[in-house]
Amino acid sequence: MTGRTPAGRIDMCDSKELLVSFLYDEIDPVAKRDFQKHLSTCVECRDELAELGATRAQIATWTPPDADLGFRIIREAESPKRRWFQWSPAWGFAAAAVVLLSISAAIANLHVSYGSEGLTVRTGWNHATETQPGVTAVDWKAKAQELDRRVLDLERAQSQQSVVPTASASDLSEQRVREIVGQSETRQQRLVSARLAEMMREYDAQRRLDLVAIGQGMTRLQNSSGADLKQTKDLLQRYLVRTALEEKEEK
Amino acid sequence: MGGDLDSFNQLVLRWERPIYALAYRVIGREEDARDVAQETFLRAFRALKGFKGQAKFSSWLYRITLNLCRDWIRRERRTPVVQAPEGVDVIELAGEETPSETVEELVSRHELGRAVAKAMSQLPEEQRTAIILKEYHGLTFQEIADLLDCPLSTVKTRLYQGLTVLRKQLREAGVESTFGK
Repeated sequence: MTGRTPAGRIDMCDSKELLVSFLYDEIDPVAKRDFQKHLSTCVECRDELAELGATRAQIATWTPPDADLGFRIIREAESPKRRWFQWSPAWGFAAAAVVLLSISAAIANLHVSYGSEGLTVRTGWNHATETQPGVTAVDWKAKAQELDRRVLDLERAQSQQSVVPTASASDLSEQRVREIVGQSETRQQRLVSARLAEMMREYDAQRRLDLVAIGQGMTRLQNSSGADLKQTKDLLQRYLVRTALEEKEEK
Repeated sequence: MGGDLDSFNQLVLRWERPIYALAYRVIGREEDARDVAQETFLRAFRALKGFKGQAKFSSWLYRITLNLCRDWIRRERRTPVVQAPEGVDVIELAGEETPSETVEELVSRHELGRAVAKAMSQLPEEQRTAIILKEYHGLTFQEIADLLDCPLSTVKTRLYQGLTVLRKQLREAGVESTFGK
């Protein structure tokens, strides 16, 4: 600290606000010139400034991870009572499709039996599926995944088509924006209609398979019920005969 | 602009990355940052009629985001965490390699980024926010002061203290400074 001009220099060294202003170059020209003059003679301030500059360069390397954003606010036109906003309706359709397929799959695995434990009804995936004659086994899980994937592809394709250059909204003419969004909406409606039609076809086919499976289950139930009744009747008959014989012997 | 959905979606497209980046750097969790960014745009849209243009649209969005981040930090009662992978996948990084940068330099840059993220997460919230707004979003001292509702001098002090702590922590973490080389 030798060779200082006491007052002015100490103020400069102590003023971290001045240092920060100079560091970010947000300083008025007069103060900047004064501080530069101070730096030419003060090693401590010069070093500190250089180190803070180096730290700034280091922290610039921190970048957030890539995220799949694509936010969009959409107004629902059909039902005013519903929520006004929703994010990405395609996901709603995908979720509905998955739920629908899961329910269908559970029904398709309906298993009815009548045995020694009595009447048993089982549904879902927690038991081995019996192959029904005349019923085609369908991998609904794979179908659901494929459906998910296709919806994702459609979304991706749509977002690529509707990408607007990085210019701000104010740079775009309103007419052009409306055209782009209009085209995008038409495309989306077309895609959604096609998917809905496809889903309805798949649902109908599955419903038919379910009806066949339920019919066969009921037939099995009726057959096993008839056989069981006959067996019970025989046992009762034998019991009655034996009881009658025992009574006769006692007499 | 009030209620014009299409125009607003153009603004969403323009600002979703910076808003997500701000939220991520403040709270440090990818998934939560995404939720905060989404909620920011929803709130902005709902409050659009109340936006008279007295502030820049970006400043308005930043304010909503910071409020949501503050709520998140209070709700979670914790400091930000750093969700950075433990190892560095060299093959994956090689895909990001630019002609002027070798794989070694790229790995080193990613490691440095991780060290910075960790050091930043240890800063007090107000210093971290000031540094994020200045360094990554290029706001002026005055804009930061307006956003954080504090005097200009406080912003400068927070920046100075934050940078000083970061410098110390990075040095302790073994990150070499290019200063003096």
